[in-house]
Amino acid sequence: MKSISLYEDKGTFLNRTAPESKLLYILTAVSVPALTGIEWAGIAFIALSALLLLTGRVLKKTLPVLGVSGFIMLTVVVIQGMFRRENMTPVFSLGPCVFYREGLYFAFQIILHILNILLSFCVLMLTTKPSDLIESLVRRGFSPRFGYVFVSVFQIIPQMTETMGIIMDAQRSRGMETEGNLLTRAKAFLPLISPVVMSSLVNTRERAMALEVRGFNSRCKKSFLNPRVKTAADRYIQAMELALIASALGWRILLWLM
Amino acid sequence: MARIEIEDLYFSYRPEEEILKGVRLTLDQRPTAIIGQNGAGKTTFVKLLKGLLRPTGGRILLDGQDIAGLSAAKLASRIGMVFQNPNDQIFKNTVMAEVSFGPRQIGMPEDKMRICCQKALEAARLTGLEEKNPYDMGLSARKMVAIASILAMDTDTVIFDEPTIAQDHVGKERIRQIIRGLAGEGKSVIAILHDMDFVADVFERVIVFMEGRILMDGSVREVFADRDMLERAYLEQPNVTRLCHELGYRGVYLKVEELLHET
Ligand SMILES: Nc1ncnc2c1ncn2[C@@H]1O[C@H](COP(=O)(O)OP(=O)(O)OP(=O)(O)O)[C@@H](O)[C@H]1O
Ligand SMILES: [Mg+2]
Repeated sequence: MKSISLYEDKGTFLNRTAPESKLLYILTAVSVPALTGIEWAGIAFIALSALLLLTGRVLKKTLPVLGVSGFIMLTVVVIQGMFRRENMTPVFSLGPCVFYREGLYFAFQIILHILNILLSFCVLMLTTKPSDLIESLVRRGFSPRFGYVFVSVFQIIPQMTETMGIIMDAQRSRGMETEGNLLTRAKAFLPLISPVVMSSLVNTRERAMALEVRGFNSRCKKSFLNPRVKTAADRYIQAMELALIASALGWRILLWLM
Repeated sequence: MARIEIEDLYFSYRPEEEILKGVRLTLDQRPTAIIGQNGAGKTTFVKLLKGLLRPTGGRILLDGQDIAGLSAAKLASRIGMVFQNPNDQIFKNTVMAEVSFGPRQIGMPEDKMRICCQKALEAARLTGLEEKNPYDMGLSARKMVAIASILAMDTDTVIFDEPTIAQDHVGKERIRQIIRGLAGEGKSVIAILHDMDFVADVFERVIVFMEGRILMDGSVREVFADRDMLERAYLEQPNVTRLCHELGYRGVYLKVEELLHET
């Protein structure tokens, strides 16, 4: 079965790092620049994330992610650069469109935030197996129901594409043209949606029942299959992350008191 | 009657794993059963015949014409195939709409279509249920709907992927009659099966697949007589054949009737 998860085990340092460390990394990367209000902190974290992604050998996989969000960032630049209320100092113009310094600067800050959040999430998502992530969250006290729903999302989409393929084949073999121009393909696709959704619903219900008879809702304390491994490296990393957040918080409070 | 020639057929889903490794055979009008272990490549093979998959090597000739040039939709009027799981095939809200979908798609004339649908529904014992929603029917009834919707297309060749799964004795009996009926009309029937008793009872030719190759190909009697070869493909003889072997009878018995007749 194909997976929609972007994760791939490359046996790198990041793959071996505990999901908690990476979750905490996101928190650090987002909260430290926000708390301190220092711009270069954001830039530093972007650089750090990029470096991490590079050592994790997944930098290339972030490109599509950046491509999609790049479009949003571009609209931010255009809208803020041209129309922000505080706009006063023109910087350059493209034909009739004039871009202003204040708006561009604001857009730059937003883009820094977006990039920072995006890349730190990539560090987690591209190097962590979804089920490991869920397991560590559930271990931390998240509801297993939440975990189940989350994992299901990762499963149901590939499952639906697979079912779609099979149902398409069945109709193709009864003479339905599914190849050709867009109109032909759309015409073939639409009537097949209901059986796909139908069969996914049936599957999901069966799975829920199968889980239930195996005690999914039981109130006992559950054990985990995989022993919890927290390496020394993880301990250092998490301590460092917490220290960073704490000092940023201290800095904020100090500024506020003065 | 259609003639299907398969020349050195190779196929793989992924380059590193070859599924079919040089299949060469000619299908004739004898009802033919394809048997073999799970994963032997049987379903893959019939999907290739239907043009749903394209060979990575070799050719499939239908009445002398290479099917590589025909889309699956074009092939639909020549070869019909009943999928293993009826849920993959059924998508209309009434039995009638489902059964008439195929004939409509291949452009069958209206009056011929009415006759074919009627005949198919009759064969599958679904007459009177035309307006029922297939989703409200049980699995074995849905399978019958799936079979009827292929029969209605009136193709020269009909392929069944595991038709007897989830069928009780009555259902199997009905499928047996359908296959006999098709053969009687001079159509080629190819079926993938795991039920050896059913194979011995209904089919004339048996092809044994093993790991993407043809291990045996011959009349039912020839194939089921060769206990050792079957064992190599992890298959068993039909129950009657085994019983007679255990009893020390000489000769190969395929059906209970044969045995009763002898003794
Ligand atoms: N869509 C696919 N992608 C990749 N591999 C596949 C795909 N479909 C089947 N396979 C593989 O091809 C091999 C042959 O599968 P196939 O379905 O043809 O076997 P089969 O003989 O029909 O088995 P069964 O008796 O279980 O139905 C199997 O190893 C299977 O894992
Ligand atoms: Mg199969």
